[in-house]
Amino acid sequence: MAKVLIVDDSRTSRKMLRNVLENNGHVIVDEAMNGQEGVQKFQACKPDLVTLDITMPIVDGVEALKMIRAFSSDVKIVMVTAAGQKSKMIECIKLGADEFITKPYEPGEVARVVESLLS
Amino acid sequence: MFNQIFGKYLVDSGRLTEEQLQDVIESEAEVRVKLGLIAVAEKLLTKEQADEINQLQTIMDKRFGDIAVMKGYLNEETVASLLKKQANVYMLFCQTLIDKEIMTLEEVDQALADYQTMEGFTHSDMDDLVSGDVDRTVRIFLPQDSALDAQLCGIMIRTVLRIINENAYVTKAFMVNELTVDNFAMQKLLGDHTIYVGFAGASDSLLNVAEPFANEEFERVDMDALDAVGEFINCVNGLFASDLSVKNINVDMAPPEYFDSPVKLSGEQICVFPVVIGDEPINFILSVDSSIQVTPIGE
Repeated sequence: MAKVLIVDDSRTSRKMLRNVLENNGHVIVDEAMNGQEGVQKFQACKPDLVTLDITMPIVDGVEALKMIRAFSSDVKIVMVTAAGQKSKMIECIKLGADEFITKPYEPGEVARVVESLLS
Repeated sequence: MFNQIFGKYLVDSGRLTEEQLQDVIESEAEVRVKLGLIAVAEKLLTKEQADEINQLQTIMDKRFGDIAVMKGYLNEETVASLLKKQANVYMLFCQTLIDKEIMTLEEVDQALADYQTMEGFTHSDMDDLVSGDVDRTVRIFLPQDSALDAQLCGIMIRTVLRIINENAYVTKAFMVNELTVDNFAMQKLLGDHTIYVGFAGASDSLLNVAEPFANEEFERVDMDALDAVGEFINCVNGLFASDLSVKNINVDMAPPEYFDSPVKLSGEQICVFPVVIGDEPINFILSVDSSIQVTPIGE
């Protein structure tokens, strides 16, 4: 079981991800609607794992990844992407992203990615 | 999609009742054989391989056969021979109408000729329509010969059929400079092209996209429902961006924008592509290399 922070501007996406993660025994410690809020909540709740949507207003997922990595090299970070964001994925790998999941979510894939990071 | 398009014409022209059309479509579903099923039955794929390909189809805008070849499970020759075993959609539709003694083959042929005249389609257009191929069908309904428009609309309708409603269909698209809509979800693509993509609804019609995508019921088209529509658009645009990147065309997606009260859309080249989902038309809006301004009504 891991403490997870979900950062995504879409309520629909947050809800889908919360359902999948909770069904796999994880605890959602908080949710954030953009990268800026995500970094603040990361510092406040110290999760084991953060899911970061790449496309968000105010501060996007790539910037938020950079900021969170400045605070912690240990936290597991899963980037959430739509198909067709390959160049951003490469940038995220360079910045220290651990894994990627693609929308629309496939529950088995989400569970597999999270379990592999936590094992 | 042919069944829904031509079937709607048969209903509108009084040749078929709504109930008969539903009965024909449902009966066809029983006899339509999926490529994966044929491949498994002929022991060319294991069930696990077919399931894996079905799963990949949820995140890749590719056909079953294309993914099977890409994974090295089947070669192109085998896929071609499997495709031949699938019935042509037009023949299947005709056969079902005839079997149920609703229409004769001559009556169906005459109706198809009348439909061609009404829509002003060429013989080549009709070949595209009866082929049942989504991309070929989409092209004949678009008002201008734009490869990007056709590619994006093809991906959109295939994704609608796969995730939202398998009975959705399109009607003729048109170009406007202004359009007033009750609610609107939109996403911009920026990069080598500037593209505006959205779904506009009248009253609560967008719930037909929001509810199946989010797997949730909404009371009305509020910001939460529009958020679900926006996420669906995001998935469509992601597939589109992925296809473009293969041709070294790069676009990136901006966060979606939502409007839950009436707005006026204005621009120089707005393509409006009506998609009928659950009997309600929803307008798929796109503008390639031209902008769309969204103004709340009353301002």
